[in-house]
Amino acid sequence: MTAIMKRDLKGYFTSPLGYVFVAAYIIVMNATFYITSIMNASNGLTTVFNVMLYSLAIITPILTMRTFSEDYKQKTDQLLLTSPVSPSGIVLGKFFAAFLVFVFGLVLTIVYVIICQAFGKVNMASVIGNYVAILGVAAVYISIGVFISSLTENQLISAIATLAVFALLLILDLCYNLVNTAWIKAVLYWLSIYRRYNTFIMGVFSLADFVYYISVTAVFLFLTVRMLEKKRWS
Amino acid sequence: MIEVSGLTKTYGKKRGIDRISFTVNDGEIVGFLGPNGAGKSTTMNIITGYLSANSGAARISGLDVLENPVEAKRHIGYLPEQPPLYLDMTVEEYLSFIYDLKKVSGIKRSEHLDEVINLVGLTDQYKRLIRNLSKGYKQRVGMAQALVGNPDVLILDEPTVGLDPKQIIEIRNVIKGLGKDRTIILSTHILQEVSAICERVLVINNGQIVADDRPDNLSALITGDRKLTVRVAGPRESVRRILRGVEGVQYADATVQAEEGSYDFLVEARPNVDVRKPMFQALAQAGYPILQLKSMDLSLEDIFVKLVEAKRGNTAPRAKTPKKQETGKEEF
Ligand SMILES: Nc1ncnc2c1ncn2[C@@H]1O[C@H](COP(=O)(O)OP(=O)(O)OP(=O)(O)O)[C@@H](O)[C@H]1O
Ligand SMILES: [Mg+2]
Repeated sequence: MTAIMKRDLKGYFTSPLGYVFVAAYIIVMNATFYITSIMNASNGLTTVFNVMLYSLAIITPILTMRTFSEDYKQKTDQLLLTSPVSPSGIVLGKFFAAFLVFVFGLVLTIVYVIICQAFGKVNMASVIGNYVAILGVAAVYISIGVFISSLTENQLISAIATLAVFALLLILDLCYNLVNTAWIKAVLYWLSIYRRYNTFIMGVFSLADFVYYISVTAVFLFLTVRMLEKKRWS
Repeated sequence: MIEVSGLTKTYGKKRGIDRISFTVNDGEIVGFLGPNGAGKSTTMNIITGYLSANSGAARISGLDVLENPVEAKRHIGYLPEQPPLYLDMTVEEYLSFIYDLKKVSGIKRSEHLDEVINLVGLTDQYKRLIRNLSKGYKQRVGMAQALVGNPDVLILDEPTVGLDPKQIIEIRNVIKGLGKDRTIILSTHILQEVSAICERVLVINNGQIVADDRPDNLSALITGDRKLTVRVAGPRESVRRILRGVEGVQYADATVQAEEGSYDFLVEARPNVDVRKPMFQALAQAGYPILQLKSMDLSLEDIFVKLVEAKRGNTAPRAKTPKKQETGKEEF
């Protein structure tokens, strides 16, 4: 597993993908920070996290589009699947490689926190809570992206399909306010990655919601493992 | 040791392989010979655990590939049909990754990788990006990858494809050398390759094993009719008379005039008779020198036709009547 993780990590930075991701991350965060803190003259980090939530949905497919697709294309999946590593080891290795690149991008945003702190009082507990929650959300995004990449050998299809799934989740999220039936609301809430994030934005660390993110991640990673196993029977 | 029993694999409705069974003993080099689409790669992919069979089992050193995948795969070095290379890595990075991937232990990394690249002749390309290597060198990197970790079983799918003639000979020698203390299966379309490297050959056609024998026995079976072309300097009629008079010759006739004053003759011996020596002596006595002597090479297709016919009719090909053979498509 660590061998695969290291290789993919290196792969992100020998191809443009890793740089594109980190650059996109920095641009988006800079713009948000600029707009929220300068225009509103407030140092509300909450807006920053809110933007992060949605912009991440747009940029994480950059990290996951190649994950399995490229291996299928170059037939290196044949190498991985015939090496003494279990399918779950392969999936976890690839997942953590993408996740670490994400963490790298996130660490860069700590600069904003420091700047905000210099200008006024920042609720440190809330910021830390938000950082942890963002990691949970990113894990969900990445696991969905990794799963979708295991379905196709075409990177572009992989990226677009992942974006489509995130868009669909957003639409479901918007529907939440439009319906009144309790059980539909319950189902929509259950499906909504975004809505759950509000608790964190409000400064409350909700363990239940964090566990939800981790569970969804686990489900998609499990599905990816099953997908690899199923390919053997094609 | 590799034990394969009753492997069947269908792709949708299409049959990939059909009830393939064989055993390869420790230290044996076995050649998998078959035309395109015969099922060689499919069988290898099942043995290495990349594909699952619809039925049957494959065991490596007693370990079932499906029940005990991680342990079984530790024993295998696999060179797939298309070498599985990460193009964005250098040869060094790639092999070092393979070393980690296979969890090699007990051999020092740098020493081991040096040894491997020496063996396959990659020393000069070690620091180069795989993307920039020529096809033949990429094939060698694939080969090197299979050797990392000194696995006791090697499965090589067309290992000499894409190499130039000199490299082919080198790699064949490497494989032969490795075969001294390893169990090897290699696939090829080339009959000569099997004869050059293997002690045993499995002929596979249409998803089934049609022959399992030593290469020389197989060639005897295939050229069971012992057809030779002989170029003799001398008058056509007398040479033919002499050839027909040789003990063991069943059929002899001139085909074409080859050079000034010499003809090519097609000679067919009776089963299990080597007519080359008596033929030489007879011609030498008469004062007609032999300029060239070679056995008729059959194309791979002819071989399969023969083997399949032999299997179906349960009669050895060598027992067939000459008349029937003349309707075959050997060119003479
Ligand atoms: N993924 C696949 N989907 C459908 N059919 C397949 C697939 N892979 C192989 N086949 C079919 O299975 C049969 C055996 O193929 P296989 O690749 O094992 O042959 P081979 O002996 O390796 O041939 P070659 O010499 O061309 O490499 C062929 O008829 C092929 O068309
Ligand atoms: Mg093949």
